[in-house]
Amino acid sequence: MTTEPYSPPGTIPCLICESRNQRDALTCSTCYAPMALIHEAVAQERDPCIITVIGDSNVGKTVYLGVLLDMLSKRANEFDAVPKGAYSVNLPHTVISYLGSRRFPPKTAMEVDTWLWAYYQVSRREEDPQIYDLVMPDMAGEAVAAEVAAPSTFTVIRSLLEKSSAAVVLVDAALAGVGSPQPDFFALKLMTYLDGIVSTNSRKRSKTPVAVVLSKADYCPECFDNPRAFAQTNLNRLWNICETRFENFDFFATSVVGSLAYGSDEDENVIPYPLHVAPHGILEPFEWVLSKL
Amino acid sequence: MSLKLFSRADDKVRVHKSKRKRGRAAPPALKPAQAEFTPAPAEPTDPDPLKRAFQQGRYSTILRNEEQWPPDAPERSEIIAGAAAQLEQGMALVPAGSVCIYTTLTAQPGAPEQDESVEPFLLDVHAVSNARFQRFVDAGGYDELEFWPEEIWPHLIELKDVTGHPGPRYWRNSRHDASRSDHPVVGVSWYEAQAYALWIGQRLPTEAEWQMAASWHINSSADLMRRFPWGDAMDRNRCNVWCSGKGTTVPVSEYPEGAAPNQVRQLVGNTWEWTDSEYQILDDEQRPIVGEMPMHVIRGGAFDTYFEVQATSHFRTGQIALARTYNTGFRCAMNLADAKWINGT
Repeated sequence: MTTEPYSPPGTIPCLICESRNQRDALTCSTCYAPMALIHEAVAQERDPCIITVIGDSNVGKTVYLGVLLDMLSKRANEFDAVPKGAYSVNLPHTVISYLGSRRFPPKTAMEVDTWLWAYYQVSRREEDPQIYDLVMPDMAGEAVAAEVAAPSTFTVIRSLLEKSSAAVVLVDAALAGVGSPQPDFFALKLMTYLDGIVSTNSRKRSKTPVAVVLSKADYCPECFDNPRAFAQTNLNRLWNICETRFENFDFFATSVVGSLAYGSDEDENVIPYPLHVAPHGILEPFEWVLSKL
Repeated sequence: MSLKLFSRADDKVRVHKSKRKRGRAAPPALKPAQAEFTPAPAEPTDPDPLKRAFQQGRYSTILRNEEQWPPDAPERSEIIAGAAAQLEQGMALVPAGSVCIYTTLTAQPGAPEQDESVEPFLLDVHAVSNARFQRFVDAGGYDELEFWPEEIWPHLIELKDVTGHPGPRYWRNSRHDASRSDHPVVGVSWYEAQAYALWIGQRLPTEAEWQMAASWHINSSADLMRRFPWGDAMDRNRCNVWCSGKGTTVPVSEYPEGAAPNQVRQLVGNTWEWTDSEYQILDDEQRPIVGEMPMHVIRGGAFDTYFEVQATSHFRTGQIALARTYNTGFRCAMNLADAKWINGT
């Protein structure tokens, strides 16, 4: 006789980690994902589409995601994007406020309960548009690194990737362009980890779309000229694993800062300042991902 | 890998699978096709030095060195008069006034500022276009060391286009794309902008001069200063910034409604503009903020400027002097004292 797991009455499962929560809970008690996600998913009668933006610490995930969401909200490139829940606006609000003041937002903390979640309903302005319910959490890069190094350290990351329809992997083009091997090695570890989650057959390449975004490309303009060639030259380990293990992938270059300068704080720590904002290549990876869904 | 909604026997949450919407995927976002590049045709140049200088648009040089042209040079008086007429048409007077230059990153009312007086001067009505810059390239401007400061000589070999020939970064074989002849030249460093200005007998405007032209803070009892050349409110129909939706540069003559009172166009938007001034800025605690290499002031915002506040007459930012970005161009200025046709000398 099989028994069903006990489900306390009046509880509903979290969309991400499936743990049970009180119906009126605002966030999941385990992974801190907004419970509004499951409420909306049921109300819309539609599977939400999770696109996970992932990458190493300080690669620019928060800035990229914040600017992307702000652009979508402004109907860039014929997109219509509606935030589902006021909490979804926190991320672009924070990023735009900081950039507008010529500051970078603070590093995303490792504590899962501090991560900002964005849930948007996105469509293209055309006849009979496909509507996507997009869930894009802003995760701490250090947490990603910890999970990649020791799986199950941050189970929410694994749960997210397991349920993701696509992944956007950010890699620091500025570091790669000056010859540092760190971005390539981290990206290799990350893609290996991702492959272990999304792959259903070790002999076949995964079909999960992966957009590899070369961030901070303003440091090396040749990255914009040909991102694939740049990756093949400067991120060869990443390039090889993409070719070997993923069927749907492409490389993109992006930058947000038009010009960068440096100051110091009272402890003489170097502080970077974005002198002005000139987003470039923000929407293209997102458009590509949607085209693959 | 798709997400499945949860359905448990004792759960009151129902999943209506039959109504799950699965339409066709959105059409693939087309990457901008590699634009067709049509090299601008070469213009034949006249063997006569005076006529050639006129063809090349070096009107200020013609007038400044009027005595050097041989008295029997063909059409001498007509060419000299024509040069004055071209300058009168292509440049506008910016009257005397004063500007407040913010000295810290926080460029808001109440922030520390530095007052500067500006003498009247002449400014290009339009930013320098690809067609105009082509003449400098065709004349061998990149090889004429007199127009380049000595510290940049070792770097001249780096100032190449995508094919490795002398020219702005995005040109090919030292030619610009003919379809963008009337667009502002971009992909030029501060040194290239300055070299061109010197070649035609002019200079880059100072930061204070540029701000004077854009804010129109002329000496008057009204003491009015404009946030934009046309007034105080951003109007995306008067300039080319991110929210205007163009996504690229437009011809330098567009947006006449966004002109300053003296008809100088596109001071705001389209491309950032190099000025002659070095960029010096402090944080809110008066500590210096510096770039990795020396920086010069750029002003005005560009087609990709996301924050409207960064495309105002008083917003100041900097760029490394050797940077050759896709969104930075320039326009030229000259001293009023050199405008002989105005001064009647």
